[in-house]
Amino acid sequence: MDEVVRQMMSRRRFLQVAVASSVVVACSPSSIGSGAPTTGASAPPGGASGGAVTGTINVSYPDEAGLKPKYVEQAAAAIKTAFPGADVKIDLQKVGDDDYYTKLLLALDSGTGPDVFHVGGSSIGELADASYIEPLDSYVSQWADWSQYPDSVRSGVTYKKSVWAIPYGLDMRWLYYRKDDLQKAGLAADWQPANVQGILDAATAVKNANEANVLPYALYAGPAGSSGTADHAFVPLLWAYGGELQDSGGKWIGDSPATKKVMAYYAKAYDGLSPKEILTSTKPWTAMREKLGNGQLALLFEGGWVYGGWASANKAATEQNVGYVLHPTESGGPSFTIGGPGTCWYISSKSANKQGAWEFIKAMNTAEIVGKLNAEDPHPVARKDAADVAEYKASKYNLDATAALEKAKFVPPDPGYSKVIEAIQKATARVAAGELGPDDAAKRYTDDLTQALGADKVTSQ
Amino acid sequence: MAVATRGRLGRNRLYLAGLSPAAFLLALFFVGPALWAVGSSFTNRALVGLDAANPRFVGLDNYTRLFSDPDFGRVILNSVIFVIGSAIIGQFVLGLLLALLLDYAQRRGFLASNLVYGAVLLAWVNPTIIAGFLWVAMFDFYNGSLNTGLGVVGAPPINWLGQGPMLAVIIANTWRGTAFTMLIFLGALRTIPSDIYEAARVDGASAFRRFWDHTLPILRPIAALTLLSVTMATFGTFILIQTLTNGGPAFQTEVIALYAFHEAFQNHAVGYGSTISVVMLALNLAFAVVFLRWSRARA
Repeated sequence: MDEVVRQMMSRRRFLQVAVASSVVVACSPSSIGSGAPTTGASAPPGGASGGAVTGTINVSYPDEAGLKPKYVEQAAAAIKTAFPGADVKIDLQKVGDDDYYTKLLLALDSGTGPDVFHVGGSSIGELADASYIEPLDSYVSQWADWSQYPDSVRSGVTYKKSVWAIPYGLDMRWLYYRKDDLQKAGLAADWQPANVQGILDAATAVKNANEANVLPYALYAGPAGSSGTADHAFVPLLWAYGGELQDSGGKWIGDSPATKKVMAYYAKAYDGLSPKEILTSTKPWTAMREKLGNGQLALLFEGGWVYGGWASANKAATEQNVGYVLHPTESGGPSFTIGGPGTCWYISSKSANKQGAWEFIKAMNTAEIVGKLNAEDPHPVARKDAADVAEYKASKYNLDATAALEKAKFVPPDPGYSKVIEAIQKATARVAAGELGPDDAAKRYTDDLTQALGADKVTSQ
Repeated sequence: MAVATRGRLGRNRLYLAGLSPAAFLLALFFVGPALWAVGSSFTNRALVGLDAANPRFVGLDNYTRLFSDPDFGRVILNSVIFVIGSAIIGQFVLGLLLALLLDYAQRRGFLASNLVYGAVLLAWVNPTIIAGFLWVAMFDFYNGSLNTGLGVVGAPPINWLGQGPMLAVIIANTWRGTAFTMLIFLGALRTIPSDIYEAARVDGASAFRRFWDHTLPILRPIAALTLLSVTMATFGTFILIQTLTNGGPAFQTEVIALYAFHEAFQNHAVGYGSTISVVMLALNLAFAVVFLRWSRARA
């Protein structure tokens, strides 16, 4: 256990120190990577490990937004050009990430999975423990471009001292607000919440303004909110109230003064400010994001990447009306965001063509593709030189999101986190639906954690 | 003894040969997976994490966990309410009433009866997932047809799936499944010769007496089987609920089949999900045995 804690602590320090360095690098035009960004079409993907790649490379990835296919095709074409004996079979799944993940796990479990696949970096621990994925240390050690990945990014994809996945963009989140809706409620267009209560106060002001077809606030809750219930709501709120997910011994913290405060916050938010439909809708975020984009929702804490959807629909209107700020704390202390390794590329441990899979990952993660993809699907870039791609640095939003990473806190890379999310979903649903009061829900949260993880891994404060 | 067995086997050879394709398919697609689930329920099999790499035998741990699971009582209660509401009261009783009405109308040649018949049948021929989306389109708070209708008459919108989630899924499942019972009963009603009713009417029997003395006894055996079938099917259903509420809000519509699905495929705990399915199978079997005994005793 101590070993795990040491790894986690060192990872956090890495993140804090190195994220700052990546911000500096990303924002400074003079600090471009060692060479000109390679292009997917012309880069010889052979790399130092080299060798001819033959046979079929099965690539599988989910994409509902439709932003990635052209880059995947570009990478596949680069492989076929560089290795005439190789073929790339692409399996694009136009389903949500959760559905894709379940399908993928079933395929991996039965040994019929693809060679290379694309899922969230928060799954690294549980996928590595299940022996589904291949450690990439021997591959990255011979990949010159790996030097472009800052330590923060490297440690985000490191588990049990090995690198397991290659990310293209990091996750961060904002508290988004509609300037037009807030102004109609008598608030400033450059609104900033003074503390956590400030979010609820603004939502109440919007509610009292009785604007037609405007919802004051949407707070992720319950199982329907998927991992967003944790990452876009409970966890940042817990941190805002001074709580932590784990104690210094690595035990998950159930009931605590901060947990009770989060539950009380949920009770207030779901008392007429946030719509209860979130608890029963399938993919409630679809409506939440759409409504914030068109002004029918005033406040939403959401992923930074969501901004891209609004901007591509109407850039001018989005820049004019959608504001974004960091998450406030209880006492008005320094604001923060919640970071994550983003969606990553993995190689299946059962792949019959691991070298081919690695060549695809390299071709998919050239500075050019990473820069262009993150310009459309906005995330802080995972590799430093991609920040210099013209399309990426053209947007002020991308620079803001990259700068915000400096204020990011990260969830511990523990394979038990998915079970913690499950308990968080239950607890928040109980309060939001009015089944339990905040204190009882916090106590029940301890029980649910214990049930899922075992009494030896849970504590309360 | 051996000779007798061989003789019986010989006599039944043709019968067994006829049964074997069905038996093979049942074994392959029902008994096999069921046995697999029973085996899996004694392991910590998972789709992710260390338990996925090295699943091991954990004895009765999953069962102990399930019976101390504070949500499980709620899940069973939800299932019972859902079955009573949508299978017994909804599909069975409503299906019988519809069949009686349609039979009455068809015997008298009312043209509208075919329209009703078609409408009920349409609900049934839809795939469940489509039926689910149809009801989502009705219940949706912002854009649903029910709230749009309320808006037209100036009434405030109702959060159908939030305020009465169980009632909403019961209504949707009743709508979806009533045709099955209706069809069965309609078929049975058509086997009843009209002269029985003529004679009863000549004797001065009221409509209720004619139903009670003549219709019901003829329908009883088929009613028993239909009730068993809809009850078991409803107990195991989850797609419609998944589409409408996904078990929410806060477990208010989480039924046992959905709980098994969520544990196995959303939380990736295959062993625990299997345990829930095995308990579901046991409850279904117990119900079937009790029910068949009861209906045989009455026959």
